[in-house]
Amino acid sequence: MSSAEGRGRTVDEAVDAALIELKESRRNVDIKVISETQEEAVVEVTVIDHAAAAASGSGAVPANGKAEVARGLVEGLLKHMGVRAQVTVRPSSEPITLDISGRDLGALIGWRGETLRALQSVTNVMVGRHLAEGERIIVDVERYRQRREHTVREIAMRAARQVKMTGDAITLDAMQPFERRAIHLALEGDPDVTSGSVGEEPERRVVVGPRKPAAE
Amino acid sequence: MPGRAAAERIRKAIALVNSVADGAGDEDITPTEIAESIRDCLELREIDDIANVRRYLGEALDAVSDGMPADFVAMTLYAALGSLREGSPAG
Repeated sequence: MSSAEGRGRTVDEAVDAALIELKESRRNVDIKVISETQEEAVVEVTVIDHAAAAASGSGAVPANGKAEVARGLVEGLLKHMGVRAQVTVRPSSEPITLDISGRDLGALIGWRGETLRALQSVTNVMVGRHLAEGERIIVDVERYRQRREHTVREIAMRAARQVKMTGDAITLDAMQPFERRAIHLALEGDPDVTSGSVGEEPERRVVVGPRKPAAE
Repeated sequence: MPGRAAAERIRKAIALVNSVADGAGDEDITPTEIAESIRDCLELREIDDIANVRRYLGEALDAVSDGMPADFVAMTLYAALGSLREGSPAG
């Protein structure tokens, strides 16, 4: 499996740099953000070995029993739905992540990822008895979720830069819980800004503001 | 659009449940709040015009009361939303 490190001003730029080096497209790679600061983002981009993933997915090498059970169930569910798609287990992912890929899977993502989220809920209910308490299966279609997480992290970093320049808090658009979580995680290490959420679901929004200095 | 208010309320309930399931980490949501949001959906008369919506919402409320996992509650609410979308008139 080949991989490359990418650097850039933003995560997207860093990923693009690595993709150019690997001569690969985004849908064929696994992206890991190594570091992300105001000045520079560093990512590790690994080309997915589809043959190995398919082999582990087909049950030939059941490396992870739970993942295999989940993969089989989702594959069966999609078949009943009349959706032609390939389901693979994302290598070395924690929590277990199932990737669904195929053609014209937009309907499986749905409005703002609603159908994808429903599919994930159904999957977790079906696989529930095989999972430990608190353990969950993440379902992704055409890396939609991963792309959204990257996008909202970019938004978070931009907002943080602006807050530092102006000193004013910024309220972002309404987001889903996993997106808000990605923003809080992206900014938690920043000594100058803080993030919190306001409003009620589904209009709950993240507010990025200046971190108040601790009272001496 | 018929069922629009109901869809909005069901989506709100789903978002609350998903916040729990995803561990958004930015608020503490109690089962009481989720139950309240489902009851808000049940108060709407328009849900009686569409088959199965009230039934699924009732099941979701029972699931919250019984302490079922968030994904189970979410799945039942998605079923209610799906029925609403299909919009088949009851009876």
